[in-house]
Amino acid sequence: MPNDQYGIGASLLRKEDARHLHGRGQFVADIKLSDTMDVAFLRSPHAHARIRSVSVPPGARGRVFTAADLPRIKPIRITSQATGAKAPAWPPLATDKARYVGEAIAVCVAPSRGEAEDLANSVAVEFEVLDAVVDAPRDMRGSRHLIHEQWGDNLYIERVVEGGDIDAAARAAEVTVTRQFRMQRQSGAPLEGRAVLACRDHRLDEVVVYSSTQTPHTLRVALGEFLDMEARRIRVVAPDVGGGFGPKARLYPEEVILAALALELDYPVRWVEDRGEHLLSAAHTRDHHYKVTAYADRQGRILGVDAEIVVDAGAYGLWPQGPYQEAAMAARNLPGPYTIANYRARHYTVATNKAPLGPYRGVGRPGACFAIERIVDEVARAVGRDPVAVRAENMVRSEEMPFTTVGGMRLDNGDYRESVRLCAELLDLPAIRARQQLGEPDGRLIGIGFAAFAEQTAHGAAEFVARGASIIPGFESCTARILPDGSVVLMVGIQSHGQGLETTLSQITAHELGIDPARISVRHGDTESTAFGFGTFASRSMVMSGGAVARVSRLLRDKLCRIGAHLLQCDPAQVRCAEGAVLGPQGSVSIAEIARVAHLRMDGLPPGVDPLLDATATYEPAIGTGVFSYATHGAVVAVDPETGFIELLDFAVAEDCGTMVNPMIVEGQIRGGVVQGIGTALYEEIPYDETGQPLAGTLADYLMPGAAELPAIKIGHLHTPAAATEYGMKGMGEGGAVAPPAAIANAVRDALAALGAPVGAEVNETPITPRRVLAAIRQAQTAAMSV
Amino acid sequence: MSMIHVRINGSEVADDVPPRLSLADFLRERRNLTGTHLGCEHGVCGACTVLVDGEPARSCLMLAVACDDRSVETIEGFAGDPVVAALRRTFHERHALQCGYCTPAMLITARDLILRKRAGSEREIRDGLAGNICRCTGYTNIVTAIAEAAQEIGKEAPNAQ
Repeated sequence: MPNDQYGIGASLLRKEDARHLHGRGQFVADIKLSDTMDVAFLRSPHAHARIRSVSVPPGARGRVFTAADLPRIKPIRITSQATGAKAPAWPPLATDKARYVGEAIAVCVAPSRGEAEDLANSVAVEFEVLDAVVDAPRDMRGSRHLIHEQWGDNLYIERVVEGGDIDAAARAAEVTVTRQFRMQRQSGAPLEGRAVLACRDHRLDEVVVYSSTQTPHTLRVALGEFLDMEARRIRVVAPDVGGGFGPKARLYPEEVILAALALELDYPVRWVEDRGEHLLSAAHTRDHHYKVTAYADRQGRILGVDAEIVVDAGAYGLWPQGPYQEAAMAARNLPGPYTIANYRARHYTVATNKAPLGPYRGVGRPGACFAIERIVDEVARAVGRDPVAVRAENMVRSEEMPFTTVGGMRLDNGDYRESVRLCAELLDLPAIRARQQLGEPDGRLIGIGFAAFAEQTAHGAAEFVARGASIIPGFESCTARILPDGSVVLMVGIQSHGQGLETTLSQITAHELGIDPARISVRHGDTESTAFGFGTFASRSMVMSGGAVARVSRLLRDKLCRIGAHLLQCDPAQVRCAEGAVLGPQGSVSIAEIARVAHLRMDGLPPGVDPLLDATATYEPAIGTGVFSYATHGAVVAVDPETGFIELLDFAVAEDCGTMVNPMIVEGQIRGGVVQGIGTALYEEIPYDETGQPLAGTLADYLMPGAAELPAIKIGHLHTPAAATEYGMKGMGEGGAVAPPAAIANAVRDALAALGAPVGAEVNETPITPRRVLAAIRQAQTAAMSV
Repeated sequence: MSMIHVRINGSEVADDVPPRLSLADFLRERRNLTGTHLGCEHGVCGACTVLVDGEPARSCLMLAVACDDRSVETIEGFAGDPVVAALRRTFHERHALQCGYCTPAMLITARDLILRKRAGSEREIRDGLAGNICRCTGYTNIVTAIAEAAQEIGKEAPNAQ
């Protein structure tokens, strides 16, 4: 392969680093526009309440805005083609009723955030407090109070995913294992919260909205729809974004409101979310309930799985995809990388008086993986075999691929069983087993656990159509422009907020054109400079945007070669692009010289070739159902049976994401995802009390993993290039976060197996807090005594 | 309003500030030093870490008026500082940043750990970073980058304070 020092496969150091290392990144809150006013929201303190009146003090008029003061704003509406899906309209400022703590009721404008908050405190709202719906499984069929009255129940949607004959599997089973699992509600919690700065540009007759978003182009679509404006009059800019992880891939009421305010007022307005607002009102995530029964034979071969999945999706669905995908993806992914033939999953998406649920790294799959991987371990225990062997034996074999799981996922290629073996090797499984035999001098119990998954990535139109999605993010785009001096600008529709795409996308063009990536700029995040694209989410940007960059680079390469061959007086078939030039049989001409001809000296162009080096291409992978990365994660824990405290001693990932464009960045994504998964497993939780009050309002209550709690994360790679994508790439952004809860829970189970024998203690709820560990030990010991 | 005199990154600054203005907002909004980031505004995440009289401090928890007659160092300073220069290089080489939001404060904390000789082992570095949250990297590469910079600084100036 040419250009290996900086092309495909090179761990090129990042272009993004220098500005951040010098404190010169530009996040929304760093942008200074003169006369900007700060905004604070008056938010509902109640989970469920009718709004009787809103009283603004006389002195505050013109600085406090309710829904009635901003009539141009239309309710946010989502549509879904999924049968039976209910979609409530969501007024960005609440009108008659507030449905979760933190829902915006009024917006206040002042010279500083402090003064804007003072203003919000001066507004009096009269509420009629209603009972809150907080227990999704109990209240989904209805409760004394309905969240959306016209529905008659509290269900967004209920569906069944099934395949094979689950009743036959039940009859054939020699072993039946049933468990309930719970993954608690949490926050995505990027370190930079949401932020919006909006202003009018009178010269261009547009409103400019800077937002900390992963999806600038679809945000523009939404603003046009809900402000009833033409898109040409809206510019959205996502500058540096301080982490996204999914929650910033949805439209928020605040974005619509700030844009509407900018249209009303003569000055720019800025809203910078604080952490309390983020934990209260930015998209929450997970909040899954499972009841799973596995039917197996005496060897541990799983014949069938019967599951019931309830997802507590909160009070509204976020635009564009609504609340539906979390449960649907959990149901379809629950069979995991296994050959399970018989399956039934009834799944329910429930409205409650909690903040809306949105996507977060893994979407649906961390819960599904937790459920299936815990069940696999329990099946192994029930038949008295090692979970590692039982896990591998149930997996799809390489030679069976492509293999469509009973959940409907088309697994394209890879060696899943090898990932289990490699992960066990990375953690030195035999050494851990030996250590367990010896026992620990401090009385702690050692456990090792594994969890595997296959991660659907870069899915195209086929997948989103199957989901009934209203918007089909099935392609990406790139406009590439070679400037008169031969330097290159790539303008892409994705948004990079830590993934290093400014670096990796330039590696693709470097690979195709033989140009040093230092001569390539990547522009993203600005609707003015980039062709339409969907943004960065769903582990899609490297495959989709990288594919578009590859295609457009080849278009430019062909033109460079035609012009170059003309200048070299040879046939275009005799030349190639490399080393910053077009090389012919007898000499070369630099790309800079060709670019000069294409712009400034068109008399040097061959007949029939137009000036400019400028092209746009789109790309969709050859398979619309996605290409599947996969991995096995393994954890080693030490559990203190006296305190319930868990120390994570070791963690390893054995993964395969096909061709790696930049292995350094791939490993960075894996480690970052794993630590977020460890947060889900051990620390992060937003509990609600029975009145619908969220109980984690600060980072002192909402614990995120810190450096001190973690081991170094080990990584082993397998390499199975995808057949359906450019260069064999597969997406891999989310996988790191999928398996840690399951792997750690299995490790804790392993550690506690001897306590409360013969059954042992198990924790089937995340986060696995010391309190839950102690409760599980007590329960197992009580059960053992009563045997 | 209160008049304060602060030495920021070596320059004397005088300003009239409201008593409730935090040091972070003072730096960001009044001095345009936006490399100091706010992640929680209640002293947990560490993204707003600056040096006050040479000691790391949470600028979100400190009031600007409390900085009268004191010196403040932000990421925009440290010109010619060999430890920060080494850290910038190792963070880059080791891919110790992703979104970049926690990075300025990570560098300031890491510099302090190295100068206090609290970066001699992985355990020490991890404990020393307990007050700085990074949501992107999983810390492995940050720890490696700090260890390498510490080793390099230790070689250059074995007796340095």
